[in-house]
Amino acid sequence: MKQDFSELRLDRVTRRFAGAGGKAFNALDELSITVKRGEFICLLGPSGCGKSTALNCIAGLMQLSGGSIWLDDTRIDTLPPEKRGFGMVFQNYALFPHMTVAKNIDFGLRMRGMSASDIAPRVAKAVKLVQLTGQEHKLPGQLSGGQQQRVAIARAIVIEPPLILMDEPLSNLDAKLRIETRAEIRRIHHELGRATIYVTHDQDEALSLADRIVVMKDGVVQQIAPPPEVYGQPANLHVARFMGYRNVLALDVQHEDGDRVALEGPDIKLTGMRKQPLKGGKSAVAIRPEEILLGEGPGGANTISARVRNIEYNGRDSLLDVVTASGTVLHVRATGAMALGDNVRVHVPVDRVLVYPGE
Amino acid sequence: MSTSSAPLTRPAFDRALWLVMPATAFMLLLFVYPFLYGLALSFDPKEGDWLANYKFFFTTDNQWPTIWTTLKLALPATLINIGFALPIAYKMRVKSRYQRWVTTILVVPITLGTVLIAEGMLTYFGPKGWLSQFLQLLHLYDGPIRLTHNYWGVLISLVISGFPFAFLLILSYITGIDPVLARAASTLGAGPKAQFRHIYLPLLAPGLAMCFCLAFVQAYSVFPSAVLLGSPAGPTRVISIAAYEAAFEQYDYSLASAIAMIMGFVQLIIVAAVLSLRNVFYRGPVSGGKG
Repeated sequence: MKQDFSELRLDRVTRRFAGAGGKAFNALDELSITVKRGEFICLLGPSGCGKSTALNCIAGLMQLSGGSIWLDDTRIDTLPPEKRGFGMVFQNYALFPHMTVAKNIDFGLRMRGMSASDIAPRVAKAVKLVQLTGQEHKLPGQLSGGQQQRVAIARAIVIEPPLILMDEPLSNLDAKLRIETRAEIRRIHHELGRATIYVTHDQDEALSLADRIVVMKDGVVQQIAPPPEVYGQPANLHVARFMGYRNVLALDVQHEDGDRVALEGPDIKLTGMRKQPLKGGKSAVAIRPEEILLGEGPGGANTISARVRNIEYNGRDSLLDVVTASGTVLHVRATGAMALGDNVRVHVPVDRVLVYPGE
Repeated sequence: MSTSSAPLTRPAFDRALWLVMPATAFMLLLFVYPFLYGLALSFDPKEGDWLANYKFFFTTDNQWPTIWTTLKLALPATLINIGFALPIAYKMRVKSRYQRWVTTILVVPITLGTVLIAEGMLTYFGPKGWLSQFLQLLHLYDGPIRLTHNYWGVLISLVISGFPFAFLLILSYITGIDPVLARAASTLGAGPKAQFRHIYLPLLAPGLAMCFCLAFVQAYSVFPSAVLLGSPAGPTRVISIAAYEAAFEQYDYSLASAIAMIMGFVQLIIVAAVLSLRNVFYRGPVSGGKG
């Protein structure tokens, strides 16, 4: 078991399952990524996208159907989990209910045959890191959900693993605790300076934690990029939808000029930026509600006329549903007084109209 | 929303408690009353003072040793059953293609009565039985095989009839343990042996104690196989045979009741000892947290 490393390499990692009617399907299809020491990677996607499968494959809890996993020059996908030495935090914590907090945390060290005198300071350090001092002699059942979560984290990090794997560790916490623990996880990651692979279906979590995000769908990687790129420049329509581009319009392509594309619908004329090669004159245009602005665009460009159909007050701003004469609905995030039935003019900057091939 | 100003007090008697009545009546009529009747009867001997039956039992040479004779059968049988059932149930905890088949085959003996098992064993294990003939045919063992009409016959029959029970009970305890705990242990460096020792065994201990008690009580009251497969006059003269003889050969119901009370008392001592041991172990939910 290695304590330190410089990179973890996944080479076309594939996992097949027998599906309905004996037909095999790929839960994970040729995932390739190199994780550097110190990096925080988020696997992001809806449930069933293969992100947990990927994590279990890395941990060794699931066998690969194809591909290989390397820790520097050592091939590890053939090793059982206990020989890999990665720390893992499970979604339901998986604390040992019959052991005290201290026994849970030192379990990994005891399994490594460390002496009691070596174990004590490391457990004390881990307990301090997750701020559980004074709780060492309680059973997991006597702790709150947030405390249990921190025991699970302490148990995984006390073995000082090269890699920490986290499977939706915050999904059982309430909203406030989730945000606090999120910051804790980021802090602990920095203090350890190793690598973390974190599975989530929550894009806010991924954006705030990750150095790089791996967006997945149906077992296939859609995009691997730093958060601003995934947020601002989704690689395809799936990623765009998942990252909150709620407006997806089917428009015809008029002409392409480099990456600039002129588009037209029944009563909408837009110019946008092409993100993928287009085919067949049809396009799907993705726009974020908060990037649609009230009023005319510069020189009347990219401007749409519509009527307010619904208003959802959100405090800082409101979410409007506006509908054009031909019935196209746009979701717009806007501030200011607005009433149902008002006629409005809205516009979108050219570089925030993302153009993908039509579906 | 109710607007009545009636005070929100709990009714003095929860009418749902009536649901307990049938079970209570059943217990009183079919267990508590016969038990108390037997207890009283045991202190009302045909002759002598009120303790005469007990004095007779503990001073007569073909009576009191039946306690040990029965223990010598029931304790090993119980330990063997749990010892066999635990590893097999542990293997069967994960769903597999074979799981259902193996479970079915292992559980079949529970559907056979003890008498049927005894008949089968007499044919199979007897001196001229299939096993004996088979071994002699292959010249694997040419000596006489004595597995019936002695201690071993009864022990084997107790294992055959008791195993499915222990297996099913342990299987249900094991499958109740969240498999994620073992996976978590494996990521922390615990190999299969360590996972069993540190995760499964401690969480199973209370269940095993319970299983031991139930299997032991069942084995201690052995009667048909001790008569049919054992030597009821000698090494397998168990305590229930002593009670049977008192009741139906000497027609001394009072003595028979006393023997039954002693039998129950021995069972109670063992069960109490094992259950008090159980308190040493963790008892509580066997999952690893929320969700």
